[in-house]
Amino acid sequence: MDCWSCQSEVGSREAFCAACGAIQPPDPSEDHFSLLGMPRRYALDPAELERRFRDLSRRLHPDRFARAAPRERRLSLERATRLNDAHRVLRDSRRRAEYLLRLAGADALAGGGAADPAFLEEQLALREALAEARGAGDGEAGLRLAAEARARLGRAEQEIAALFAEQELGRERLAEIARRLARARFDEQLAAEAEGGPAPAGARGGP
Amino acid sequence: MPRAIGIDLGTTHSLVAHVDERNRPRVIAVDGGSPLLPSAVHYGADGSVEVGWSARRRAPERPVDTVLSVKRLMGRGPADLRPEDRGIYRFDEAGPVVKLVVAEGRRSVTPVEVSAEILRVLRRRAGEALDGPPGGAVITVPAYFDDAQRQATRDAGRLAGLEVLRLLNEPTAAAVAYGLDQRSQGLFAVYDLGGGTFDVSILRLEGGVFEVLATGGDTHLGGDDFDRAVAEVLLARGLEPAGARPGPALLRGAVAAARELREALTAREEAEVDAPLAEGRRLRARLGRAELEELIRPLVERTTAPCLRALADAGVGEGRRVDGVVLVGGATRTPLVKRHVRALFGQEPLCDLDPDTVVALGAALQADALDRGGREDLLLLDVIPLSLGVEMMGGVVEKIVQRNSTIPASATQQFTTYADGQTGMVVHVVQGERELARDCRSLARFTLRGIPPLPAGLARVEIRYAVDADGILQVSAREVHTGVEQSIQVKPTYGLSEEEVERMLIESIEHAAEDVSERFLREWRVEADRMLASLESGLRLDGELLSPAEREPIAQRMAGLRQAVAGDDHLAIKAWMDSLDAASREFAERRMNEHVARALAGHRLEELAGEAAPRPVPPKEG
Repeated sequence: MDCWSCQSEVGSREAFCAACGAIQPPDPSEDHFSLLGMPRRYALDPAELERRFRDLSRRLHPDRFARAAPRERRLSLERATRLNDAHRVLRDSRRRAEYLLRLAGADALAGGGAADPAFLEEQLALREALAEARGAGDGEAGLRLAAEARARLGRAEQEIAALFAEQELGRERLAEIARRLARARFDEQLAAEAEGGPAPAGARGGP
Repeated sequence: MPRAIGIDLGTTHSLVAHVDERNRPRVIAVDGGSPLLPSAVHYGADGSVEVGWSARRRAPERPVDTVLSVKRLMGRGPADLRPEDRGIYRFDEAGPVVKLVVAEGRRSVTPVEVSAEILRVLRRRAGEALDGPPGGAVITVPAYFDDAQRQATRDAGRLAGLEVLRLLNEPTAAAVAYGLDQRSQGLFAVYDLGGGTFDVSILRLEGGVFEVLATGGDTHLGGDDFDRAVAEVLLARGLEPAGARPGPALLRGAVAAARELREALTAREEAEVDAPLAEGRRLRARLGRAELEELIRPLVERTTAPCLRALADAGVGEGRRVDGVVLVGGATRTPLVKRHVRALFGQEPLCDLDPDTVVALGAALQADALDRGGREDLLLLDVIPLSLGVEMMGGVVEKIVQRNSTIPASATQQFTTYADGQTGMVVHVVQGERELARDCRSLARFTLRGIPPLPAGLARVEIRYAVDADGILQVSAREVHTGVEQSIQVKPTYGLSEEEVERMLIESIEHAAEDVSERFLREWRVEADRMLASLESGLRLDGELLSPAEREPIAQRMAGLRQAVAGDDHLAIKAWMDSLDAASREFAERRMNEHVARALAGHRLEELAGEAAPRPVPPKEG
């Protein structure tokens, strides 16, 4: 690929041209892990992630380009947007897990949990319990349900980490992870509802 | 070389600052030696405009023509106005944008134009102090400002002839001034209670990077509200002669007296007011600090929930503490507020820097950094304060960008059609945390057309939200199979269109050049006559599209315009034309629809039928 500014050869993932220093367009095929220079796996060092995020932000943020040419301003905006989007996904363990499934082409499995009849029944029972606690104005029962959901969430996180640590990530394992993620999503929502407030923004299984 | 400036466009007063040759931020004296310019704009019947102290002094005698606290109206639609915002003003209710009728009814101005007057004065003063026009500006906004309020602020900057480099959140600006001053590291909370807005931000400072982790607030809470609460009690207690509902001028005077009393009670246990008011009346009353605190306690307590939520969002759970709390905004001088913050965060708040100027100083530092292409020891990573979503079938909101996402940010989500053969999809963009769209702030509504007619659930529409570094949203929608795409800079429902801003820009130049008024008088008379003639014929032909009640405001304005055309005040003609234009827009739309419907009668009705809100595609895109 050639640099748009000086026509020198630039690697497709280089943020800047080595010859003239111009910021380069992002490579749409680059995934969040390689964008942040992190190994593509579930376990990661949060401090390292934050350090890399800050270093890259320093170089790419639109604030560095407020006085640059319109094209450079646009590229910086695109790159910084991608960087922030990647950072948001990777720093949150559940979003990171969902993203890994998608990279493995297993995102369709994410709906798999809903098809599990035992899980469906459990969901219904828990929802009913919450509705009952609310109807009866029993705040303690609500908080108990929330605490239980949080405990399940903690366990699920460990289990997901253990599953990702396996050598071979076959379809079956991925489906297993997807099922646990679906449960985790449900528990998160249940806990938030039972605690009576909106879910913390960072923790919700958003887009 | 032109220097960049930082502007704190506040509810009660505004400031401008710059960075001097020795790299220190400095506020610029603007109004008789003081750096504080009251955010007050007076419109005289003679077409004159006064800004600052002189305008504020006119407020009691000319309350309707003197706009105070205009920040509370920025980016708001007529339906958003709360009684305390409406205050004493006269509003032109016809259009989608809030307009104030001033200059004894001769002009109607938008809050954007009023703010631009304040910004113009700041720009001029900065130009005098810096020996040349400023090179670019950073304008601060409450962190909790939504998209419409941000856009309105940016429009005001443009209108004032400023090159707006960036909108900066006020608590972040304060953190910059503090952090760079004290070389701080760690986790900080900024508690910013100004004249009309409350913000709280939790930031991590590390190696010159100021990363906002979470923010919360209330855009309708501040010292103004304290003053109103106090004024009510003072009026009940010490208005002489008592009785008779106080008029607008009297209320203004009472609020001003309440403000002085409240400020006096910062240092004293008891204070009294004895002030002449309008209508030949007088206000005489005493108030103790304990009484004051009882009055404002409910307001101060309203800051608790946003603080707790911001802490939780930032992951500062129970048992963890921030390393410091910074106080910003004049209202934080109130002893009760200080005590409240101390209890809330479990520590003594920092107030080494003047809470009135710290935001402007931070804005100047950021303006200077932007102007220089960045500074090694300063990078701000801010967040979007409120989630951005789209309304789904049934009125439920699907969040697309979550609150507290670092900006710039983007997110895409796929949706599908709801009905067989649906060819259009209404995209209603909303902002807020509530579950139902009607409880959130409506930002924009547009229709994606040209979806191939397929059985329900088969068409795929991808909606992308992109938020830039100013926190302003752009939305695009694309049908996946055909690639039909629509992209809009979300122009808020209650905002100004690009054309309106252009027109105002031209107008502001027009207003500066009085000698051309004769030309405008001629041109606008012609324009007004054309407008009247066209409406008359429209009403004759399609008058049945309006109920008598709907027809009344149009007829009224037509009469007003006719009268203005007979006179020789070109501004009055323009104001009446704008007002008539807004009042008759709905009629024009109905006529258009009616004609389209007639033309299409019997044809392709299915094309018109299939438009509905989007429906999610399961499974959700991760």
